[in-house]
Formats: sequence, C-alpha cells, structure tokens
Amino acid sequence: MVELEAESPERLSELCEKLLANPLIEDFEIQTL
Amino acid sequence: MIWGVLQFPGSCDERDALHACSLLGEARLVWHETRDLSGIEAIVIPGGFSYGDYLRAGAIARFSPAMEAVAEFAAAGGPVLGICNGFQVLCEAKLLPGALLLNEDQRFLCRQVDLVADGPKSELTGDLSAHRPPEALSIPVKHGEGRYWAPDEVLDAIEAGGQVAYRYAPGQNPNGSARDIAGVSNEAGNVVGLMPHPEHAVDPLTGSTDGLRVFEAMGRVAA
Repeated sequence: MVELEAESPERLSELCEKLLANPLIEDFEIQTL
Repeated sequence: MIWGVLQFPGSCDERDALHACSLLGEARLVWHETRDLSGIEAIVIPGGFSYGDYLRAGAIARFSPAMEAVAEFAAAGGPVLGICNGFQVLCEAKLLPGALLLNEDQRFLCRQVDLVADGPKSELTGDLSAHRPPEALSIPVKHGEGRYWAPDEVLDAIEAGGQVAYRYAPGQNPNGSARDIAGVSNEAGNVVGLMPHPEHAVDPLTGSTDGLRVFEAMGRVAA
C-alpha cells in the first residue's frame, strides 16, 4: 500500500499506471481518505 | 570501440561491467543525471539496486535522464545490454517485453548456471546462437527478483519472433522463469536484457571467462 498526499487527485490513476504500479503484473485501487 | 556503462544511485555492478568493457575497448561511466551519450557506441545497464529498488526494481530508474537518452539511442538502433537490474530497468521502460518477479522460492539466490544463447532475432547474441547444438556458457546469477514472466500470448509472440536471447540450460532454471527464459531482446534485436551476470565471468580467477563472449558478441555488432 502506498499512502500519499496528492495535489492533483484527478491524476492519481495516471500516476498509478505510469509509476506506482506496473499494470502488466499489478492491479491497483485508489482510496481517497 | 567506446562503451558506456550507466550508474544509478544504488548500482553495484558498474565497476565489473566497466572492467569487462575495458577488455574490449574504451569504457566510460555514465552518471544517471546525464543525457549526453555522444561518442558512445554501445550501452551497458549494469546490475544492482537502482534508486534502492523503491516501488519496484527498475521502476524509478526508467525516468532518469540517462535512460531517456538510452531510449533514444536504442530507437536509433544502438546496441543496449541490460544485466540483472539493468534488465529490470529495460522492462520497466518498456524497451523489452515482460517483467521480472520475485524468485519462485522467494529467496535471493547466488550460483553458477549454464546459459544457452537462443536468439536468432538478436544481433547481440551474435554467433553465440549459431552453434548447433547450442553451446552452454557458464555464468553466475545473483538476484531476488529474476523470475521472467509475461502473459502466454506475449511469450508465444517473443518465441515466434526469435526474441528469446538466452535460456537457462535444461534443468538449471534457478528462479522459475517462464519457459526457462534468462534473457530477451526487443523486436529489432538491438536491445537485450538478461538476469545472469556476464561481467562477473571475464577472468579465470572467478572460474569462467564465458561472460566475455557476451560482450564480444555485442562488440562485433556495434563495431
């Protein structure tokens, strides 16, 4: 799990696809707290 | 011939890679912050733990200025060899297909294995893949995340396309890699990644000089 403060929450999915997760081998789910 | 060996924070095999390259020509260290590859004719991305392997092995290194330059270098047909972490970086950068997962037994391993050049598509395996029956190279592996994986349709495609550059010899797959794959190339054949460490097998003192042949094959292509 990665917790972070996001200045642009609308770009979180893009951030996951480009860096935080490797979509080839990992799924991701975004939870806003 | 001028070789460039990348160094990221956390790299640990760049010195051995420099030594291997220096046996065949001039070898230059390329710091991760530079985009300047001028004069360099072949690139080696060495092993280690780039950027501490944070997120995933190779995940952050792919965004470095040096890797941006390597992507341009590769797109122009320049030869690129990624070793271990370098292989992981190339997969994360999408310059090579697939991914490297934790070893099947979840343990770091370090041992000598036999490797067979199997890549008719890759020029970087040179005449290593021309021998029939294939000639085994004795080269060490040392990694925790070296299990090559790709979806079955991708595996089928890279096998059909001759992009499997190296396989572990029968019965010697140390990490559960799919179809005994130890290294792959890109479609063009000028970018190759492998998990075993040819730079650690260039001196009789360490038990094998077979690794030098991997560099020699690359050098012949780049020359």
